[in-house]
Amino acid sequence: MKRRDFLKVVGVASSATLLSSCGVEKSTEKLIPFLVPPDEDYIPGQATYYGSTCTECPANCGVSVKVVDFNPIKLEGLADHPVNRGALCLRGQSSILRLYHPDRVKQPLKRGPDGQFQPVSWEEALQQVVQALKDASGAGRSNVYLSGRTTGSLSRLLDDFAKETRVERLPEYEPFSHVNLREAYRLVFGRKEIPFFRIEEADFLLTVGVDLLETFVSPVSYAHQLGRAKARDDFHWVHFEPHASLTGFQADQRFVVRPGSEAYLMGFLLHYILTNGLNKKRIPPEITNALPKVDVNLVAEKTGLDAEVLNRLAARLAEARTPLVLSGGVSVHQKNGLETAVLTALLQWALGATDRVVDFSRAENYASVGSVKDVQKLVERLSRGEIGVLLVSRANPVGTLPASVALAEAMAKAGFRVALTDFVDETARQCDLILPLSHSLESWGDAEPRKGLLNLIQPTVEPIFNTLSEGDILLAIADGYRGRPNVLSYQQWLLREWNRAYGEAFVEEFLKKGFFEFPAKPLPLGLNRPALTAFLKAARLDAPPQGHWLYAMPSLRMFDGRSKVLKLTSEIPDPLTTISYGEWITVSDETAERLGVQDRDEVAFLREGTRLALPVKVQPGLNGEVSTIHWDQLDRAFLEMDPRSGELLAVVAEGQLQKTGKKIAVPILSGSMEEAYERGIFPDHNGHGMKHHAEVRETLYPPHEHPEYRWAMTIDLEKCIGCSACVAACYVENNVAIVGEQEHLKGREMAWIRIEPFYGKDRDREMNFMVMLCQQCCNAPCETVCPVYATMHNPEGLNAMVYNRCVGTRYCHNNCPYKVRRFNWFDHHWETPLDRMLNPDVFVRHKGVMEKCTFCVQRIRVARDHAKDENRKIRDGEVIPACAQTCPTEAIVFGNLLDETARVTQLAHSDRSYRVFEEIGTEPAVYYLRKKEIKDEA
Amino acid sequence: MKEKLIPIGIVGYFLVMIALIGVLGWYWQNFQKTPQQPIEFPHNVHVGKLKLDCQFCHQFASKSRFATVPTVKLCVDCHKTAATDRPEVKKLMKYWEDQIPIEWLKVYSFRKNANVNFSHKPHIRAGVDCSTCHGRVDQMITARKTRNINMGFCVSCHRQAKAPTDCWTCHK
Repeated sequence: MKRRDFLKVVGVASSATLLSSCGVEKSTEKLIPFLVPPDEDYIPGQATYYGSTCTECPANCGVSVKVVDFNPIKLEGLADHPVNRGALCLRGQSSILRLYHPDRVKQPLKRGPDGQFQPVSWEEALQQVVQALKDASGAGRSNVYLSGRTTGSLSRLLDDFAKETRVERLPEYEPFSHVNLREAYRLVFGRKEIPFFRIEEADFLLTVGVDLLETFVSPVSYAHQLGRAKARDDFHWVHFEPHASLTGFQADQRFVVRPGSEAYLMGFLLHYILTNGLNKKRIPPEITNALPKVDVNLVAEKTGLDAEVLNRLAARLAEARTPLVLSGGVSVHQKNGLETAVLTALLQWALGATDRVVDFSRAENYASVGSVKDVQKLVERLSRGEIGVLLVSRANPVGTLPASVALAEAMAKAGFRVALTDFVDETARQCDLILPLSHSLESWGDAEPRKGLLNLIQPTVEPIFNTLSEGDILLAIADGYRGRPNVLSYQQWLLREWNRAYGEAFVEEFLKKGFFEFPAKPLPLGLNRPALTAFLKAARLDAPPQGHWLYAMPSLRMFDGRSKVLKLTSEIPDPLTTISYGEWITVSDETAERLGVQDRDEVAFLREGTRLALPVKVQPGLNGEVSTIHWDQLDRAFLEMDPRSGELLAVVAEGQLQKTGKKIAVPILSGSMEEAYERGIFPDHNGHGMKHHAEVRETLYPPHEHPEYRWAMTIDLEKCIGCSACVAACYVENNVAIVGEQEHLKGREMAWIRIEPFYGKDRDREMNFMVMLCQQCCNAPCETVCPVYATMHNPEGLNAMVYNRCVGTRYCHNNCPYKVRRFNWFDHHWETPLDRMLNPDVFVRHKGVMEKCTFCVQRIRVARDHAKDENRKIRDGEVIPACAQTCPTEAIVFGNLLDETARVTQLAHSDRSYRVFEEIGTEPAVYYLRKKEIKDEA
Repeated sequence: MKEKLIPIGIVGYFLVMIALIGVLGWYWQNFQKTPQQPIEFPHNVHVGKLKLDCQFCHQFASKSRFATVPTVKLCVDCHKTAATDRPEVKKLMKYWEDQIPIEWLKVYSFRKNANVNFSHKPHIRAGVDCSTCHGRVDQMITARKTRNINMGFCVSCHRQAKAPTDCWTCHK
């Protein structure tokens, strides 16, 4: 073909193609209406909130479930709820991922002849349980039911079920059973309970090893109270610990003690108060005489603290108007932990704390929870072949018990094993039948976390998989066992029970409000003299003298390991070390130097032939003899049990630490945790680095005008405890992608808000968290370098990111002094059904665009819509971003800076207010309130 | 002569083509082909003749982001008695008897990655007439797109009406 002909053909062909492409755009999208309107108050695309209960941990916080178009998309704390007062922790925020988890058990599973699990129908599965129960009873073997902590109506239903089917209900199993504390209160006051501690009302708080802000009984409740207490000027908090915990660093004064010496400390405080006659409540001489005589020299030697400081602290404790002493967590998870707990309880009595701040009338509901000792009894019965059917519900004892309690082996001797669970865990793997449980967001129920408090659990979505609630399963089995047709659903059963117990008026209010608090009955409290005297006489305060210690800390992110299945809890870094994925062991500066190791070098912890090798993270503020790991990372071979109470002992003494020479990749997200003080991220206590001192650089650009609103935020660093609840809330609210370990190792995490720990010069005591998010600068460095105007200042003071325009040059990220911009290296996918939790008001960013915090502009939009409906401006407090909403300590305040009466304006103009890097002239909209000066150090 | 005709022919061909593309482009912009809906719903009868308010059927236009198409029940409430002999109404009743939802084809939509956060509610609140964007539906049988709803169209109207033109007003 000639060249000319070729061109002609190409010309004609291309014009023909052009013409044909001008054809009709065919609509393939469909609009499918409902047959009948679903609900009277349903408005498409608009959020509805339902009161319910968080079941991620036993604290049972009240939640308000945000439902859009029949999908729950976010959990928020239920305002005014007596436990969490509108806040929710990291795990609670992540809990929505459990509902939509693609790995949930999707239908009943039965172990086939080949040993593999195969799907069966519910009818067949339940029939099999009924048959197995009957067979076992017929053969004279007992059937038992072991569950995680159960409260409220479900507990009553379980009792009925046990009676009807002749199944024995065993004491419940929780890894954090707090049995040492409960045993201590039994010994001291005759009440085997955990009281509710009114920290908010105390003026002097002395805590020993207790992880109040992480996992201790009801962490959101305690964090909220601490936030309130810290807002007062007369509150002082002293914390003692041998390890380094999030809670410890938040105290006004933190003391690092020798490991195992906590009991001596309590003994000394009690001894000081009694010998000086400073006790507010009488202690009979028989008990006083039985008490260990710990004078100041002895305690100074044991704890390694200064004798004078100890005397001053003891005097201050005795002087305080409303003192409160607390122990718990790692201080009672050790060999002399029961002694520490008993002495603490007695000290609470002596100081008069039991009259006001230690409240048994609102005791935490752990009545049905047993201990490891109870499981050991079960193991013995199993080994003797006495057990026919073993039903395990909402608990994973096989995966969490000490290796010495050989439950898995013993379970093989049971006739038939049934697991009621949402995931196939270690325990379920030992079973013959797995009955999948519905999530609490799919089921009816109630919970009674504390005495006199009933929480509602109500369904907000149809079950996503073929699952049933535990109540429905129990009713069906009981009816099958009795040969009755199963007529009553658990919902009907519950309504009947509620109506019978509390009346119809109550039920109506209960369903509307989401919880109900009954008036508390004051309880007379007295010393349990004989038991206490006997215990004190036998008490041994001594701890093993030498070797390296390993402290397994209850984990802020994973609790006892149960929250590890939620990918978000791994994606959010541990606030003290900024490590996200993987496992690690912390060592002190001096140990690191002695072993010659740095971050990421592997070391092995050895004790009696058991070895645990993990990469190192150097942790400031640790006692040199101590290393810490998180609870879920501890090899169960190290776990022991206190034979007196059955408490799990997770403090491992007399070990050795060795360098292995290997280096392991660990995603440590923070580059440096030390430079903050020279670079002006925090001003010092003299206000150096504050706004009136800083010389602000001039700008070449014309000033921005804000006609109606100038959105701003204040973050109180005195109140911030680094709990990372805000980070989790932000992830869920803004569809922030979870990118995984490999991306984290490249430093490509996507969080829009992050918690940065900074350790000061006095590394034992000084530690600050910086909450870093987009500062919504007035003179934003990112805006001026964008070649396509993809990021620009809007008339309300927000730095708007326009994804449509972004071409991914990443200049903005390069020029951001706060390093808060995130780049999408990939298209991120939400595996079905996780995509159902995406917030429809927020765009899912695609590959190649930048993203960052928007101050939750979608929430501003909703508030503006309401305001315009009523023809007014947005009121103060009407817009609450996700981070501020969930903050347990109320550290974050958001509002309009142009409104002089707004809380945010008042805080932004307070003495403590400053802005980060103010001197470079970015004019950020985020104001930080620096920490208060500690005036009266003891 | 023949030598001159060839280049004129070629140029002429391309000119005609360009003109054709232009005309078709304009036509395509303004008059999209009517979608084949499962039921031929006559808007001209309901809106033009019976003078029903748009929101009688598109109930959520003033309350929500979505105008929504009516539930089958709403149609049936009237058509139990009205115009029961018409073939299209019979189709509707068949859907209702079988309890099958009607799969209408969407006429207006934004591209997914256009990242548009459009809401009907504020437009109704501001008194924008439905026909501003949707054309004279009262004169159409089956609703069809009469205007390309693109950013230029939105912004020019926003400017005229002194409505906000901040990016985050319309983009998520």
